This record gives sequence, C-alpha cells and structure tokens, in this order.
Amino acid sequence: MALVSLTDVTKTYPDPNDRKRQIAAIDGVSLDIQAGDVYGIIGYSGAGKSTLVRLINALESASSGSILVDGAEVTTMREGELRKLRLGIGMIFQQFNLFNAKTVRANIAYPLKVAGVPKAERNRRVEELLAFVGLSEKAKSFPDQLSGGQKQRVGIARALATSPRILLADEATSALDPETTHEVLGLLKKVNQELGITIIVITHEMDVIQQIATKVAVMENGKVIENGEVYEVFSNPQHAATRRFVSTVVRGIPVGEELQTLRYRHPGRIFTVSILDGDTSQARVFEILTQAGLGFELIYGGINDIQGRTFGHLTLAVTGDDAAIESALAQISALTEIVEAR
Amino acid sequence: MDDINNIIANIPKLITASGETLYIVGFALLLGGFLGLVLGLILYVTRPGNLLQNRPVFTILNVIVNIFRPIPFLIFLVALQPLTRIVVGTGNGNTAMVFTMSMAAMFGISRVVEQNLLTVSPGVIEAARSVGASRLRVIFTVILGEALGPLILGYTFVLVVIVDMSALAGTIAGGGLGTFALENGYRQFKPELTYAALVIVIILVQLIQFLGNWLARKALRR
Ligand SMILES: Nc1ncnc2c1ncn2[C@@H]1O[C@H](COP(=O)(O)OP(=O)(O)OP(=O)(O)O)[C@@H](O)[C@H]1O
Ligand SMILES: [Mg+2]
Repeated sequence: MALVSLTDVTKTYPDPNDRKRQIAAIDGVSLDIQAGDVYGIIGYSGAGKSTLVRLINALESASSGSILVDGAEVTTMREGELRKLRLGIGMIFQQFNLFNAKTVRANIAYPLKVAGVPKAERNRRVEELLAFVGLSEKAKSFPDQLSGGQKQRVGIARALATSPRILLADEATSALDPETTHEVLGLLKKVNQELGITIIVITHEMDVIQQIATKVAVMENGKVIENGEVYEVFSNPQHAATRRFVSTVVRGIPVGEELQTLRYRHPGRIFTVSILDGDTSQARVFEILTQAGLGFELIYGGINDIQGRTFGHLTLAVTGDDAAIESALAQISALTEIVEAR
Repeated sequence: MDDINNIIANIPKLITASGETLYIVGFALLLGGFLGLVLGLILYVTRPGNLLQNRPVFTILNVIVNIFRPIPFLIFLVALQPLTRIVVGTGNGNTAMVFTMSMAAMFGISRVVEQNLLTVSPGVIEAARSVGASRLRVIFTVILGEALGPLILGYTFVLVVIVDMSALAGTIAGGGLGTFALENGYRQFKPELTYAALVIVIILVQLIQFLGNWLARKALRR
C-alpha cells in the first residue's frame, strides 16, 4: 500500500477579484507515493505544488477528495489528531523558516518539546541530529550567523527531530547557489538512503529531479499532467510542459535556429539517433557508418545518466554517397530510432 | 546661592514627588502594559488570515481601538472620570491616575504590540505548525519570542509617553514631578525648582531609554 495516497483531491480558494467565484489551486489530483520514494513534484510557478504538499500535512485543508497518510484519512482528522500526524511528517522550506530568536540547538529541540520528549532524551537526540547534518560546532549559534546552506541543514535537522517517516521539501534548494544545492541534495539523499525516510521534493528545477528523485510528477494548472519513474518521464516525455522541463537538462533533437546553425556549419545530411539504456547500439551505429564508407561527425546531443541508467540523443552530420547513406540508415533503423532533421 | 539653598530645602518634597511619579509610571506600565499586550495579541490572532482568525471580534476591537487611541490624553482623563470613580472609588489621587493612564496606555500599547507581532514571518509560524505545535503553543513559544526585540523597543517608547502623561495627570488630580514643578516652581516664581524637576525627569527618561535599548539589544543579540 502506498504511504501517501491522494485520490481526486481538489483545493479551491475564493477568487480575490470576485469572492463568489472559486479558483482551483489543486484540480482533481490522484497520486500514490510509496514508502522509500524520493518523489519529485515539478511545475512552473502557480502550478499548485506548494498547495499540494501542504495538503499532505494538513496545513491546508482539502476542498474534496481523499488523502491517506499511512492508511489514515487526513481530511477528516480533528486538530488533536492532526498534531500527531504532523509529528510524523517533517517539512523544510525555501526560506528555511528557522526560529531566529532561538539557537540552532533550540531550533532542533523545538519539535521534541512539542512532542513532550523528556529533557535528557531531547539533548541526546539534538546532539545526534547535529552530528548527522554536520553542524555540531554550531549548536550555540543563532540562525542569522549561519550561511544559507547551514540554515537549510538546521532546517533538515529540525524536520527530522521527531523521526518522521515522511519529509516534505518545498523548494528547499531554490535559495541556494549550485554548489550548496548539491550539498543539500546530497544530505537529502542520505536522509532517504540511510534513514529510509520517504521524501517529497517540490521544485521548478529539473536538475533537482535529476539529482535525487526516483519518481516525478509534472504539474500544470493544478493538475498532475504526467508522472512515473524519472527515467521513463525523462526519456519519453509526453506533454509539452514536460518536454520543456526535460530540455533544460537534456539536449534532445535540434530544432529551429539551433538546427539552422548546425546546417550552416556542417556539410552533409543530419540525423539524430536515440540512445536508450541497455542498448549497445551506439558502437554498432558507428560501425555501420564506417563500413558503408561514410564520413560522419558528432555535432549535437548528449548522454544522460538518470538513476544509473543512460539515455540520450546523438545528432550526426553524415557525408557520402546517397545510396550508401540510405542502406546504412536501413540497418541502423533495425537497431534504434533514427530520424533525419528536416 | 539662594537658588541652591531653595533646592536643598525642597529636597524632601522632590523625593516625595519623584516617588509618586515612579509609582504612577510603574503601575501604569504594569497594568496598561499587560492589558495592552492582551488586547494587541487578540487583535493580532483574530485578524483575518491569522492563527485564530475571527472577523467579528477583530472588527469590533479594531474599531474600539481606533476610536479611543487618538483621543488627547487630557480629554480622555476628564471623560473617564465617572468610570474611574466607580473602579477606584475616587477620581482623585495617584491611584486614580494609575487607572486612567493604564486605560489610555492600553490602547496605544495594543497597536504597538499588534504591529510588532505582524512582522513575524508567516513562514516561521508555518514551520512551528508543521512540527505539530498547537495554535496557542505557537503564539506563546514562537511568535512572542520572535517579536521580543521590537516589542521591548516599542514598550520603551510607550514608557516615555507614560512619563509624559504622568506629569499632566498629576497636575489635574494627583502628585508627582509635574505637580511639583507647577506648584512649587511655576506658580511661586521659583524657576530653579522647575528646573530641578526637569533634570530629574530627563535622568529618568534617559535611564528608561538606556535600559530599554540594552534589553532589546540582548533580545536581538546585536
Ligand atoms: N491562500 C491562498 N488564497 C488564494 N489563492 C491561493 C492561496 N494559496 C495559493 N493560491 C493560489 O493557488 C495557486 C497555486 O499556488 P501554489 O503556491 O501552490 O503554487 P506553486 O506551484 O507552489 O508556485 P511557486 O512555484 O510560485 O511556489 C496559485 O494560483 C495561487 O495564487
Ligand atoms: Mg510554492
């Protein structure tokens, strides 16, 4: 059974321009998240990503539909039950949202106090968490004395304090530079792999999905338009929005101006070959071209590694006799997809 | 020489007057400060969109504060006399003044409190909610703590205003340095006594400012 299961969930807000009308921030979303997943949710600003995760820990209440967390229906819970639910779901934020008047130690201890953990046990747990996020020597610092990356690590430690099964990360790296982003994502990966915590990562950056997610849902206008294994979605995107996201990290088939530039620079006919995981055709493709006595040059594309599986597109400029090209083309088509740029 | 002798002769009176001022200001701060904190807190939490949003309560309190806060203190003091007599038993004397000033300070302080609480980031409140803290817990363990520095500065400002009110209130129906300056200095053409009272008030206000800034710095760690 899924750890988090959303069925036909909607969330509407009154239209600020016309209070009698409603706007759907979440519009009929169904989604299953399995224990152990690092589930990425990607979408442009206003797609409804934040609203969606805030429904999971009930910071926002659903307008309709069902939300099961660990088998328990969240939408009908009372305030007291909700508080217990939240102890089992950690959350980190883009702006970190640390308590500025409290020390790092007190920030991390706060959820434990709320949970009623006795002092000695609390102190032990805080030390453990500080060590886990690598900030033991910053225990007495205040948040405004930390860098962005350090702040987010405190945020992570605080979110993990009560040993939750689920961690919600709302744009947790969007305020950080690429280097620090990498570090924090590494830490999240460790949280998932060493502690077995299921993570739901919201982002508008495909990079983040590529680096840590195992599954991904693409959101647009309050709907999930596509979801599945990251590899499947990356290698075979179905929707225009998904293709745009994928193209930010993966160079696919050249079109438009890019193609014109390539034509201008390279003589011959231009073909794009799809390379998929477990496919040894790459070497065979070059062999066939060589054997046909054709000249060729790699001019565009790349191979990506997602969760240890590779895929990509290679674009070649091929020169030589047209008949030879056609026969080589026929042989390659038997191995993998090859299309000529038009 | 006469001036100095006159001041020395009046030292006992000055001490009494200072004591009265401290009494009025101190208790007005305690009572008005507490009531203002409660009123400001209620305004803040019931504001639409906040933790315990309640439009009717917020609207009613908001209107009440808007009506009473801008009334000039002298008019407020006189107009409140009937209520003061009911509550304190008399409209005269230092205790009656403590009551009147507390009421006036309450309205001013409630706004100071509300404004400062509004500066606490909604994200921080959400973070506290997300770990399972109840609304009341969030208010008392997070919101008040996060706003503590600015709140201390706000109270310091109000305290100086209370000293100002106390001088005026004293001349109408009580004692204190204002009354001393008026009766012993101004009315008897002894400006040196007015200045003696003035110096004491300046020292008092400076002490308050210094203490307030120091506490706020500690709270803000800056
Ligand atoms: N409290 C609210 N009242 C009214 N409308 C809201 C509220 N919260 C969100 N919305 C609307 O719901 C939609 C989705 O918002 P949401 O914050 O979930 O988007 P998002 O995908 O997280 O965007 P971003 O990437 O900018 O954070 C937006 O159109 C937003 O205006
Ligand atoms: Mg968002």
